[in-house]
Amino acid sequence: MKPFDIVIVGGGGAGLYAAMEAMKTNPALNIAVLSKVYPNRSHTSAAQGGANAALGNKAKDDTVEMHIFDTIKGGDYLADQDAVDVLCSEAPKIIRELENMGTPWSRMEDNTIAQRPFGGAGRPRCCYCSDKTGHTILQTLYEQCLKKGVIFFNEYFALNLSVSGSRSNGLIAMNMKTGKVEAFQAKTVILATGGYAKMYWNRSSNAAGNTGDGQAIAYRAGIPLKDMEFVQFHPTGLRKSGLLVTEGARGEGGYLLNKDGERFMSRYAPEKMELGPRDLVSRSLETEILQGRGFDSPAGKYLHLDLTHLGADLIKSRLPQIREMSMNFEGVDPIEEPIPVRPTAHYSMGGIDTDNQTRTVMEGVYAAGECGCVSVHGANRLGGNSLLDILVFGRIAGRTAAEEAGKFTPGRISEAELAEQFEEIRGGMHPSGRYERYGELREELGQTLALNVGIFRESSLLQKGISDIAELKERFKKVRISDSSDVFNTNLMQVLELKNMLDLAETVAAGAYARQESRGSHTRIDFPVRDDANWHKHTLATLVKGDVTLGEKPVTMGRYELQERTY
Amino acid sequence: MTVSTDQHKEGKKEVTFRVFRFNPQVDSKPYFDDYTIPVERGVTVLRSLNYIKEHIDGSVSFRAFCQAGICGSCGMRVNGLSQLACTTQVWDVLAKSREPGIIKVEPLRNLPLIKDLIVDMDPLVGKMVHYSNWVDSTMPEAQMGKKEFLISEEEFLRYDKATDCILCASCVSECSILRANKEYVSPAVLLKSYRMNVDSRDASHDQRLAELVKDHGVWDCTHCYRCQESCVKSIPIMDAIHGIREDAIESRGKHDTSGSKHAEAFMTDIEKKGKLIEATLPIRTNGVVWTLQNLLPMAMKMIMKRRTPPPPPLVKSVKGIKIFRAMFKEMTEHVKQDHKSHNK
Ligand SMILES: Cc1cc2nc3c(=O)[nH]c(=O)nc-3n(C[C@H](O)[C@H](O)[C@H](O)COP(=O)(O)OP(=O)(O)OC[C@H]3O[C@@H](n4cnc5c(N)ncnc54)[C@H](O)[C@@H]3O)c2cc1C
Ligand code: SF4
Ligand code: SF4
Ligand code: FES
Repeated sequence: MKPFDIVIVGGGGAGLYAAMEAMKTNPALNIAVLSKVYPNRSHTSAAQGGANAALGNKAKDDTVEMHIFDTIKGGDYLADQDAVDVLCSEAPKIIRELENMGTPWSRMEDNTIAQRPFGGAGRPRCCYCSDKTGHTILQTLYEQCLKKGVIFFNEYFALNLSVSGSRSNGLIAMNMKTGKVEAFQAKTVILATGGYAKMYWNRSSNAAGNTGDGQAIAYRAGIPLKDMEFVQFHPTGLRKSGLLVTEGARGEGGYLLNKDGERFMSRYAPEKMELGPRDLVSRSLETEILQGRGFDSPAGKYLHLDLTHLGADLIKSRLPQIREMSMNFEGVDPIEEPIPVRPTAHYSMGGIDTDNQTRTVMEGVYAAGECGCVSVHGANRLGGNSLLDILVFGRIAGRTAAEEAGKFTPGRISEAELAEQFEEIRGGMHPSGRYERYGELREELGQTLALNVGIFRESSLLQKGISDIAELKERFKKVRISDSSDVFNTNLMQVLELKNMLDLAETVAAGAYARQESRGSHTRIDFPVRDDANWHKHTLATLVKGDVTLGEKPVTMGRYELQERTY
Repeated sequence: MTVSTDQHKEGKKEVTFRVFRFNPQVDSKPYFDDYTIPVERGVTVLRSLNYIKEHIDGSVSFRAFCQAGICGSCGMRVNGLSQLACTTQVWDVLAKSREPGIIKVEPLRNLPLIKDLIVDMDPLVGKMVHYSNWVDSTMPEAQMGKKEFLISEEEFLRYDKATDCILCASCVSECSILRANKEYVSPAVLLKSYRMNVDSRDASHDQRLAELVKDHGVWDCTHCYRCQESCVKSIPIMDAIHGIREDAIESRGKHDTSGSKHAEAFMTDIEKKGKLIEATLPIRTNGVVWTLQNLLPMAMKMIMKRRTPPPPPLVKSVKGIKIFRAMFKEMTEHVKQDHKSHNK
């Protein structure tokens, strides 16, 4: 078979934009998109809030420059400022482009795209479609890809890159429907597999498959991962599932209460109370729990988000989604009872290290979306900037790969290599003697991460986290796959995802341990302040001889000098 | 994950999940496996299946991703009704269960079975492609990104609900025509087609419509309302179907014959044989009066314009048919009168 010009791994916003743009750039190219779920199922569909762009529809005085500043400041000065420039400058154009292709944006009175205020932004610049922005963007992109005739390999699970020296030959993936391991020889590969926050498992707002597969694939191929220690926590996840209760609930006047019935935010943000910035509110909830003022339950400690005083009418009319979620996933009707909540891992700032054109250090391998790290979010992502990131850099990845595909001649992926991969994933099917259960390992991983590599970090906790992860990796060798079928073996897929999470958890914990300062989402109790003299730099985690090896990379400045981040 | 109780909650129930099993590699035909587990209030069908998979039988296969009712992965039939496993409460299902304590879980219908609760979605995607379920923008590609189309709130509202669709295929599974004819366009695809057709940015309205009025298209729908009743996002799918039909009559003229050939058969079926497929008209769920009031005016309009849905594929007598027939007759007369006086 002829090699593909471009193989895109991931059918979320980033992957689909890349596919579309690559076809636009050069329609003659042979392009394939691989996805472990049907593209329209990707987690991009979960984004409700919106995407930022300084269109100036709502606030006439909004500018790209203000968007740039908000993003740099929001990221606690760890973002690369030239990349942020690209992100924000491209924003108005790309939002309009989506509009031109059919995205059903909500509208202002003058019939232009509607915008609303969002955390950390100086002007209302978040473009939205009701509370289904990500869903409609993803639909539009999927529809346009179908229109353009993009070739999809749906329900294919990417396993590894095939590598010769410093060069990639393409991708190796498993066809879920047959269980076969197949080769995708390709001149270029774009990794766009989304985030890794699901490693915190039921303390994460993410979909079950946000297990960082692309990052793990790159890592195993020797490509460095950047700033992995930065994981954003959202203050109000549902206790049992981690699913998100959006900020709207507090915006409408909901209270956060501890087990003594106290509105504890008065201690942390006496003026803004429940409406303080995300990271501050998350830290406040966590402090209450740590100091023993949370409620107890088998599913873990939690606090109350109380809406009962708002009354049935308001809850039904303004917060119907939240009511439905809380009834569906906690069995609690917020009209009658408070919602059990606790902070939930929400977004991964870290990812595959790329340049502004999304190139990685390996020839012919690119990364974009939450999977990549250019970096535009620095130490803390602003709401509404991630959808923008996947669009802007998804497009750049598609264009760059299309332009550069001709430069590369991939080697053949041998039958032997495929057989080896097959053996590796199926080897764990029937371990002899004592075996480990997938569910238990995954549960323990989530727990140790939440406890030791969570919102508050500290040297001894992190050491515990690191040794727990090492132990789990050891136990993983004995994990049993209890479905022996070749056809749609979801159990095997779960185990492969767990492997990826374990590999990445190590890099998150290592980065968090090394970074002896507090910046953005990364809070060290033992190093409570930002330390620009020693830590104003990116961390790079590379796999060397089976171990995480940490390096560093300078932050590109040029626009705004370091300042203290206060709101 | 656990499905265990909170101390302050009112306990748990023993529930038997009767799960449809089929592995094409080893099974010649499907069978059911029973799994009995304790379930507390607030637990969804999906969480129960996850529990079964992790603690009892890892080979039980189903799809799930977001676990929040937004990705559309986990459509399956729970006690006979197609819905999302991740938003369906076990206790709610139990309350309505015919066999106490038992919940039957089966794959969606009308799509090829792959394994256990997993069906093949490709045919649905194929239909989306066939009916051009995309906006074919009037803006040339080279011009894109330069300026916005100005869209009124009124236009936005025309397709707002339709864009809620998460392609979960619950409606597809419930559709009565699809059971007889796998080539039928499908409710979700009609919904999407409608959404594209009312979008002022789209340039393919006429071609899409031409495809929709062909065989297996919009005229094949029997108005049974099952798709709308089962839609997990409560989308008024029938509005879209009516909308396409009305649009077809308006923009393609009254003498477009597609669809009209079914009219006679439909009338005969109701009047003479006095039988109706229970799925054909939403009598069972909505009652005779509702059906006549809500559905027949449209049907009459269609008949007068020589456009009526096709006869039902499966015929089964319906209780209350006498009342129905009487009312139907009266109404037909009424409409005919109206029509005559209108034509004068
Ligand atoms: C609840 C929630 C709300 C959010 N709200 C907002 C918001 O309002 N605004 C905002 O800007 N951002 C928001 N975000 C963040 C944003 O949605 C995500 O960062 C973004 O959608 C990621 O897009 P992506 O294309 O990079 O990845 P995804 O959409 O996650 O897609 C990843 C793709 O990769 C595929 N894939 C993964 N692994 C493999 C593998 N091994 N083999 C093959 N394919 C694979 C998947 O199938 C999928 O198609 C939110 C996130 C969450 C969780
Ligand atoms: S009304 Fe009935 S026949 Fe028509 S699309 Fe819906 S389910 Fe199918
Ligand atoms: S129309 Fe409703 S039931 Fe049908 S696929 Fe869409 S969301 Fe699901
Ligand atoms: S798992 Fe996504 S809709 Fe149920």
